[in-house]
Amino acid sequence: MIRFEQVSKRYPNGHQGLDNLSFHIRTGEMVFITGHSGAGKSTLLKLIMCMERPSSGAVHVGGQNLRDLGSDDIPYLRRQIGVVFQNHQLLFDRTVFDNVALPLIINGTPADEVGRRVRAALDKVGLLSKENSYPIALSGGEQQRVGIARAVVHKPALLLADEPTGNLDPELSAEIMALFEDFNRVGVTVIIASHDLPLIARLHHRTLTLDQGRLLADGES
Amino acid sequence: MSAKQPQPGRRKTPSGAARSQRDWRHPLRSWFGSHRDSARQALVRVRHYPFSSAMTVLVMTIALALPMGLSVLIGQVKQLGVNWQEAAQISVYLADDVSAEKQQSLTEQIRQLAGVAQAQLLDKDLALAEFQQHAGMGDALLQLDYNPLPSVIVVTPLSIDGGASALEPLRDRLVAIDGVEQVQIDLLWVERLAAILAMFERFAGGLGVLLIIALLLVMANTIRLAIESRREEILVIKLVGGTDAFVRRPFLYIGVLYGLLAGVLAWVLLALGLAWLNVTVERVAALYQSEFALFGMPFTDGLALVFGSMVLGLAGAWLAVGQHVRAIEPQ
Repeated sequence: MIRFEQVSKRYPNGHQGLDNLSFHIRTGEMVFITGHSGAGKSTLLKLIMCMERPSSGAVHVGGQNLRDLGSDDIPYLRRQIGVVFQNHQLLFDRTVFDNVALPLIINGTPADEVGRRVRAALDKVGLLSKENSYPIALSGGEQQRVGIARAVVHKPALLLADEPTGNLDPELSAEIMALFEDFNRVGVTVIIASHDLPLIARLHHRTLTLDQGRLLADGES
Repeated sequence: MSAKQPQPGRRKTPSGAARSQRDWRHPLRSWFGSHRDSARQALVRVRHYPFSSAMTVLVMTIALALPMGLSVLIGQVKQLGVNWQEAAQISVYLADDVSAEKQQSLTEQIRQLAGVAQAQLLDKDLALAEFQQHAGMGDALLQLDYNPLPSVIVVTPLSIDGGASALEPLRDRLVAIDGVEQVQIDLLWVERLAAILAMFERFAGGLGVLLIIALLLVMANTIRLAIESRREEILVIKLVGGTDAFVRRPFLYIGVLYGLLAGVLAWVLLALGLAWLNVTVERVAALYQSEFALFGMPFTDGLALVFGSMVLGLAGAWLAVGQHVRAIEPQ
């Protein structure tokens, strides 16, 4: 599903985001990316999303070398990826329903199906009763679950999460992780960047540990 | 997973979405759906920002109404000129001693000449009556105990293209006729009017070009602000796979909507303005014994105005989105 081949990313300001990184994640895996802040976790996810381009090396997603993607192709790559952000990236002037519906509207899903799939996604994260609320009226954990519903509503084959439990207490964090495991169980490849080591340790999934852009360890933590 | 084909995931039966994506109607329907959404978003924006929307629309209205109003006015005065040209006359003054019968036969003779569209006899009694009626000098004439006016044959030439000089041959022939005392061609004022109109036309054209540029810039700036105010939203849309075209569409609709509103408003403004002006125009015309009146805003001009305004709104919006939407990229 995802293959990094000797990928380096150096930013214009001289910061080395990734340094000669190689790994392979197979379809259906659930993988944690961990490391100190600045270790390259976010850079790694951005390269998969084509938000950044590698300075050298090759990134393959779904058998496609991202170097071959023109800027017009990038939206179509992103439509097959669900992303969960630490700061949710919700639109506060739209209802929960409209936020979750956004990926479906963008890929032109018929209106009747939008309603059905948005409610299915909200039901999955336990927020069906909040569909007409605005995000501002929700708690941090609820907002994060809306973000997750939006990331999975179009049934992507790949789910990325950048510090999804960053601002949540341990109990909520565990709930969120359980949700990701549910999606993984139905075949979605899940990649989660997190520095919540105790939580990761409890879940027994493959973990890539980064340090200063290099791969420090690869295995079940 | 390849970048361009939808991936049904691992599920064994195709979902409703996968099925309907194979339906040929689906892309068309979603395209229309997206346009409907964009149009609705444009309306919502106008409703949410009534003040700034009104300012933009009013500036656009004025920028449209000014050159359009001038060109409509010039067009109508020009038609007045055409009417006068048709009525442009050569006055053939007859000698005082020509008898009434001779006057009739002379009129008939002139009517047969090449280059003459019409010839009409205005004998001295009739001329006096008309003069008294219209020119407001009747009282002065009443003081006289004789009629000072000569009999006139009013000749309408077939064409006055080429001005007074083109009429010289006809004039020579008229002067040569026995009993004709004087021939007067008065075309200078028609030529002057044409020159003045051409000057105003050029002025309106130049003004129009400047104001259209101003309109495009106002539109582009408005759209730029709208894009900035929705930066977060654009970022999120791009992150979940929205194309540049998808992001652009609502802003282009805003441009078209502003154009539509400004066009209709300018039409109303011009129609009212011309009617208001017409009151004084008719009074002036009456003093010159003319029945000239402005005939208001022609319907086709109004439609052209609204359509042109929508195109300009779209063009202005396009100027802004082309630059700014591409610049907003998730980092």
